[in-house]
Amino acid sequence: MRGTTLARWTVLALILAVVFVPMFWIVVTSLKTGRQILMSESPYVPRPFTVDNYVYLFEESRFALWIRNSFVTATASTLLSLMIGAAGAYSLTRLRYPGRRTFGALVLVTYLVPPGLMFIPLYQTFIRIGYTDSLGTLILAYPTFLVPFVTWLLMGFFRSIPRELEEAALVDGATRVQALVRVVLPLAAPGLLAAGLFCFTLSWNEFLYALIFIGDDSPKTLPVGLSEFVVSDFAFWGQLMAAAALASLPVIVVYVYLHKYMVQGLTAGAVKG
Amino acid sequence: MRQERVLGYALVSPVALFLTALVAYPFLSAIYLSLTEKIVGYPAHFVGLKNYATLLESGRFRAVAWNSFVFTAASIAVKLVIGISMALALNNVVRANQFIRGILLLPWVIPTVVIALTWKWLMDLFRGLINVSLIDTGLISSGIHWLGDPTLAMASVVIANIWRGFPFFGVSFLAAMQTVPQDLYAAAEVDGAGAVEKFLHITLPSIKSVVAIVTLLSTIVTLNDFSIVFIMTRGGPGAATHVFATYSYELGIQSQRWGLAMAASLASLPLVALLIVGVVRYLHREEE
Repeated sequence: MRGTTLARWTVLALILAVVFVPMFWIVVTSLKTGRQILMSESPYVPRPFTVDNYVYLFEESRFALWIRNSFVTATASTLLSLMIGAAGAYSLTRLRYPGRRTFGALVLVTYLVPPGLMFIPLYQTFIRIGYTDSLGTLILAYPTFLVPFVTWLLMGFFRSIPRELEEAALVDGATRVQALVRVVLPLAAPGLLAAGLFCFTLSWNEFLYALIFIGDDSPKTLPVGLSEFVVSDFAFWGQLMAAAALASLPVIVVYVYLHKYMVQGLTAGAVKG
Repeated sequence: MRQERVLGYALVSPVALFLTALVAYPFLSAIYLSLTEKIVGYPAHFVGLKNYATLLESGRFRAVAWNSFVFTAASIAVKLVIGISMALALNNVVRANQFIRGILLLPWVIPTVVIALTWKWLMDLFRGLINVSLIDTGLISSGIHWLGDPTLAMASVVIANIWRGFPFFGVSFLAAMQTVPQDLYAAAEVDGAGAVEKFLHITLPSIKSVVAIVTLLSTIVTLNDFSIVFIMTRGGPGAATHVFATYSYELGIQSQRWGLAMAASLASLPLVALLIVGVVRYLHREEE
């Protein structure tokens, strides 16, 4: 028994160290001066440390604009996907009509098509309708993977809400739509929250579509802006790691406060345990 | 009942319209475009399977297919091992379990671009933490060329990808392990089973379907991964880490050879389709 306890904590310590080191390196680098980085002076803990890299981001780069663009895109595509997906999931789990099972399976299939396979076809479509280089392009593009995801996730949540509650409301004279808005949606609130957080995180982190669909300078999002800090093989690592820390902060905050819901969503919908 | 049907179609129609316009249509037109030749300034003309034949004959494409396979197989094999170890180590640890699990999941929420850039910097030849600390401890005398050597470059992108993905594996497996009834283990102990036997005969069979689903999902995504390779190596050195998605990017976005790019995008489709069928069947079985 003592042997397994030791093995358990050894494994955990190793894994924690592996997870910790890159995050430590981000923070440490972001607090170094250009000279400390260039000459590898006090590599592990910068003495003295500096916050110049963070100041530089806001005063001399377009960092604030990238944050704004990412925030607008992530929020809008999340709301759009939640509305479309919630209506679809309700319909697919609660109402009976021909073709519903087939359609549910098709939604799952689209959920599984990877962006790495879709980006060129989707880009061609946006070129054809003449709508590229705008945040709107991304707000339309992200729901292509968010809507199937939300629909699939919420189908699991709607299934877990007892039909009797809804039927009781119908007997009391409510219409289907009223029952949906007043009974089902409030009960599905944790599911909606989890789905929304996932969508926001996925959009905030998205890189491929944002890189391809937007060529102009102004509507760049945070991940694309970050990737362009590296010019050929030369990079301003101090500023870049400061930007990396700030770019990760919102999703980490969201996650720390709400990871209970996110893990719940993870097990209830997408991956059934 | 008629009212229910009308409402049903009405509520599902936004999903249907959206996915038809921005998934099904682009996808079908991509299949058509992959059968045409289109160079900027000239109209497209139909060439049958010529683009696919060109790809199969090209040494670069064959290298890309092989690299995608290596990248995927290596990432998934290691993620399975670490994921199962992580789940076993966390299973039944009541104290600190929530907290540790929370920290371990962080790589999964951090933007992939940040992860790729950080690993590129960790592996920097002269000033990266890995080489600096290896030299400091005297394990090596001069820096290792992580991203400059073809084999090491592939290993490096795989390592970054594993770091990003193993927490999801671990937490999913842990969730599955926690549904296994404790009395099964107690009964096995009475019969004199050791830790290894309990793992092989109780734990593994109970988490089998979750392992299968997670592996299939991850294979689909990893096979078509773009960001890690694009940011860390741009497919180099040479074509040593070039994979399907970075290659379609090169053909379409950089060279504007759309027909060929479409064909390259769709090249992994037969395999992806098979994997998708696998996931759908597994999920349906789980539901019943």
